[in-house]
Amino acid sequence: MSIHNDSEFKAALERLAPDRQRQVAARFARRVADLSQDVRVKTAIEAASRGGVSEAELEVLHQAANSARVESFTRCGMEADWSDQTGHFVAKAAMACVRPTAAAGNLAWDTAMHARMARTCQTITEGTGTGNRETEAQYRLLEDFLNQGVRT
Amino acid sequence: MNASLDKGVRVLKEMIDAPIASYFASCVHCGLCAEACLFYTETGDPKYTPIHKLAPMRRLYEQEYTLLGRLKKWLGISPPVTDSELGAWQELVYNSCTLCGRCSAVCPVGNDIVYMVRKFREGMAVAGHAPAGVIEATRRTIDLGSPMGVKLHAVKAQMKHVEEETGIAVPLDVEGAEYMVQLSSMEIINFPEYLSAVARIMQQAGKTWTLCSTGFEATNAGIQIGVSDLARTIVMRIVEGAERLKVKTVISPECGHAYTAIRWEGPNLIGRPFTFRVQHIVEVLDEFRAQGLLKTQGMETDRLTFHDPCQLARRGGVIEPQRNLMRMVAKHFVELPEAGLMNWCCGGGGGVSANEEADALRLTAFKRKQSQLEAVHPDRLVTACAVCRTTIEEGLEHYQMKLPVIGLTELIAAHLTAPAAGGPEGG
Repeated sequence: MSIHNDSEFKAALERLAPDRQRQVAARFARRVADLSQDVRVKTAIEAASRGGVSEAELEVLHQAANSARVESFTRCGMEADWSDQTGHFVAKAAMACVRPTAAAGNLAWDTAMHARMARTCQTITEGTGTGNRETEAQYRLLEDFLNQGVRT
Repeated sequence: MNASLDKGVRVLKEMIDAPIASYFASCVHCGLCAEACLFYTETGDPKYTPIHKLAPMRRLYEQEYTLLGRLKKWLGISPPVTDSELGAWQELVYNSCTLCGRCSAVCPVGNDIVYMVRKFREGMAVAGHAPAGVIEATRRTIDLGSPMGVKLHAVKAQMKHVEEETGIAVPLDVEGAEYMVQLSSMEIINFPEYLSAVARIMQQAGKTWTLCSTGFEATNAGIQIGVSDLARTIVMRIVEGAERLKVKTVISPECGHAYTAIRWEGPNLIGRPFTFRVQHIVEVLDEFRAQGLLKTQGMETDRLTFHDPCQLARRGGVIEPQRNLMRMVAKHFVELPEAGLMNWCCGGGGGVSANEEADALRLTAFKRKQSQLEAVHPDRLVTACAVCRTTIEEGLEHYQMKLPVIGLTELIAAHLTAPAAGGPEGG
């Protein structure tokens, strides 16, 4: 299966069962995990990657990632540090990929969007702002994931 | 008297205009404003009584413009305003005042205490007694056009992100568009979902809109710090952008003080009427709703409540539009106690959230919002101001309350009937 645009990308993600969505979401988040230094964020992404996480554990991981997200807001009037802000969006991506199943929604899509925003912040830090290939990388990652699923 | 104090006191004297003189003359010392201020109610400390925050200015007024005050000054009973006194007053004028206007709303003689505090801030700023965080925000506004240092390339990056997410082109500098959409720094930095929501709503409503490369920033640090010249400069950037693009309406974003600055202070600051209309995004959405241009599907079934941003509801008089919108998408919409006109502030507006010295006090003041929320036990909280949003989230985190907070525009966009043409709906 090939993914060419976000419509196909989103539709393919929506067709996945929640546990499969979480698996692919973790892969999206892992791509940007190094942009965060927060241990709560890294723990959440690692847990989602590992799989087999209980709902109670998800709840705790989600809450911890939420704390990381709230603490990394840039407050009104403070100088924007896009490098720090990268970590904020990684925290959001981590939160999405450990979202409890009852409220899962399209968690893989949400994770992908936050991961893209994290990458965007990184490019703003570097002074370019628009030049990143995260979207294409996510397409390829999903293709690989789906093709692996077909093979297994 | 040092030079900055001398200048500050001179500015303070100049600030005492006819309304301020009449306010001081008519104050009956009833203390009702104390019970209206969350910094007083949550600390019990009388120094946070709103009218007391103006004591040095009141003394100047009396010394300059009343016979008794002049006599007291001559006899040495009424001492001159000193630099150390103004320094001590910084906490009262900046740290413990969000300019929320609740004190003005309860004053039995109609004193606009917020107006007075803003004027006092003008003198404080000149005398060198504004908080460092607010001064830095002001410097960035002068140097870069944005209090948080947001530059156009960051806006363009967010535009690209939103275009990818929604499949909708985000227009920039389109002459003749009906609406010019502004963003607050907070939305550019923390909440890209706002621009995404606006893009989808405008597409569904079939309206033409644009961002403006020279006037994208709505945040007005001049209003917060109390420097009218700066506030005027920021407003002029928006006015020049809107007039260059010949737009009919400028949309103020989900930011309280930005709305006050452009909608209510703007024409007075620049000394002429605007050639365009100014609306808050919530007003625009409600207008679309009334015109049948906002078509939603499905209802949120959990318990939702709404936090009224002070500058929108109390100072701006926008109270029903947000409720009309909430009722469109929320099956169980519950009001907070004293919602609407007399809603309690989040505690972070008016430059307080930019002022690290005020952190502890801000979190103490948040207990008022906490008690409001505990009275109705919502599952989620909706608001229409990015500063309220982050301030409330920080308060909830501090007091370990689990309550998701979302923006109203984002909530409405999540319920639009048709996805954006050629692209998916946002997540």
